[in-house]
Amino acid sequence: MEEIIRIQQLYKSFGTLEVLKGIDLSVNKGEILTIIGPSGSGKSTLLRCMNHLEKADRGSISIDGQYIGKAEGKDGKTVYRSNKEILTICRRLGMVFQNFNLFPHKSVIENLIEAPVKVKKMEKEEALLIARELLKKVGLLDKEKAYPNQLSGGQKQRVAIARALAMQPEIMLFDEPTSALDPELIGEVLQVIKQLAEEHMTMVIVTHEMNFARDISDRVIFMEKGEIVTQGSPEEILINPRLPRLQTFLNKVV
Amino acid sequence: MEHLNYIMEITPYILEGAVFSIQIYVVTMLFAIPLGMLCALGKLVHFKPLRWLLEAYTWVFRGTPLLLQLFFVYYGLPFVPVIGVEFSREMAAFVTFILNYGAYFTEIFRAGIQSIDKGQYEAAKALGMSYPRTMCSIIIPQAIKVIVPPLGNEAVTLIKDTALCSVIAIPEMLKNAKAVVARDAAVSGYIIAAVAYLAMTFVIINIFKYIEKRLSYYDK
Ligand SMILES: Nc1ncnc2c1ncn2[C@@H]1O[C@H](COP(=O)(O)OP(=O)(O)OP(=O)(O)O)[C@@H](O)[C@H]1O
Ligand SMILES: [Mg+2]
Repeated sequence: MEEIIRIQQLYKSFGTLEVLKGIDLSVNKGEILTIIGPSGSGKSTLLRCMNHLEKADRGSISIDGQYIGKAEGKDGKTVYRSNKEILTICRRLGMVFQNFNLFPHKSVIENLIEAPVKVKKMEKEEALLIARELLKKVGLLDKEKAYPNQLSGGQKQRVAIARALAMQPEIMLFDEPTSALDPELIGEVLQVIKQLAEEHMTMVIVTHEMNFARDISDRVIFMEKGEIVTQGSPEEILINPRLPRLQTFLNKVV
Repeated sequence: MEHLNYIMEITPYILEGAVFSIQIYVVTMLFAIPLGMLCALGKLVHFKPLRWLLEAYTWVFRGTPLLLQLFFVYYGLPFVPVIGVEFSREMAAFVTFILNYGAYFTEIFRAGIQSIDKGQYEAAKALGMSYPRTMCSIIIPQAIKVIVPPLGNEAVTLIKDTALCSVIAIPEMLKNAKAVVARDAAVSGYIIAAVAYLAMTFVIINIFKYIEKRLSYYDK
């Protein structure tokens, strides 16, 4: 198993609130990892530390052996690479947000080609080709000229997934991709993620959709109060949970 | 008939003044917009001294009357030790107007930029975009839509503010109209000037309406 994300002794506080308390975690290539846990347990923060949307205070993060931030000295304070280098390393990760965060002033196709053309300096023709391929994959080829506000929530999220994929990332991070959606639109988004799973995309998914987590995950992590409480296969964590805290949490969600 | 002749006689003189009014209008817009944009971006930078400097700038120029600023730059500045510079009347007006309107535009642009959702920055960063690239391609284009209506208001106010230049004896439209009124003891001069101001306002309002319409191709 080849390790692609490695996190060691990660600590993060917002003011006096300690949100991550010494997280150790590694993700293997092709692995599908889901993170579950109560609200405020630090799931999003952990995910956002992986692509540097949040800066951890202490500990190390590395992507495929290249560190973004490295713990140094005896207090383990994180020392970061230059922003430019981090941006380059983090291009290997794509991210999908709960609120889509599509660019409202750009059409669907422009949303998809923006980063490949401007960041990767890809030829526009090539970017368009890839973008259309991806739109086909998420079932929205007919929407390429639409603006985000003309789409349903489910469609927006599928565009957001396609936009992230347009940068050809090796890892996809999902932060509650279906939490902002009406129940009848959740299925179409999960379907797209399942398709990625079949292609062995490495994925880290924060979700409250327990059935989905059970079906798709190789490994499930249960977080509470900034710590990884337990982890294991979907059977161990979701079907036959042993830990009382985990049982309580699962009973509340379902 | 005689009255019409009179009007035909004084109009060219009054409109001569409009040349300067339009000149200072265009110069102010041309320089104050980029100045405001740069200062707005400067206010968002984490470097504190720069932010304080810009806060002081906008505070002073928005917190004192434009009229006072005009007096100060033209009459007062030559007497200030060290930086004492003497501008021509026109130059003094240009400098004052650019700095004054730049301060208002700074605040309008800053508010516009800050109204853009944090998620937009995050999405851009997650796609590998640098901060300057994010500002240019994602944030500022969206902010413009927010900025245009208040900018249009200022643009209309500026037309009327150009009349203030008469106080430092620049022969702009109001000053010429006043001269005619004083000479002939007839109010027509003012009416002609009013019509000319209204015509300019009409043009500016419609330019901004057009821009707003062009920007309405998307909704948030
Ligand atoms: N930018 C921030 N500033 C201050 N506090 C923050 C910030 N971001 C998150 N927090 C706090 O950190 C804690 C953990 O937040 P986080 O978003 O990681 O939780 P979560 O597990 O994703 O919760 P949820 O399921 O509600 O999304 C919360 O108490 C939250 O209020
Ligand atoms: Mg969260």
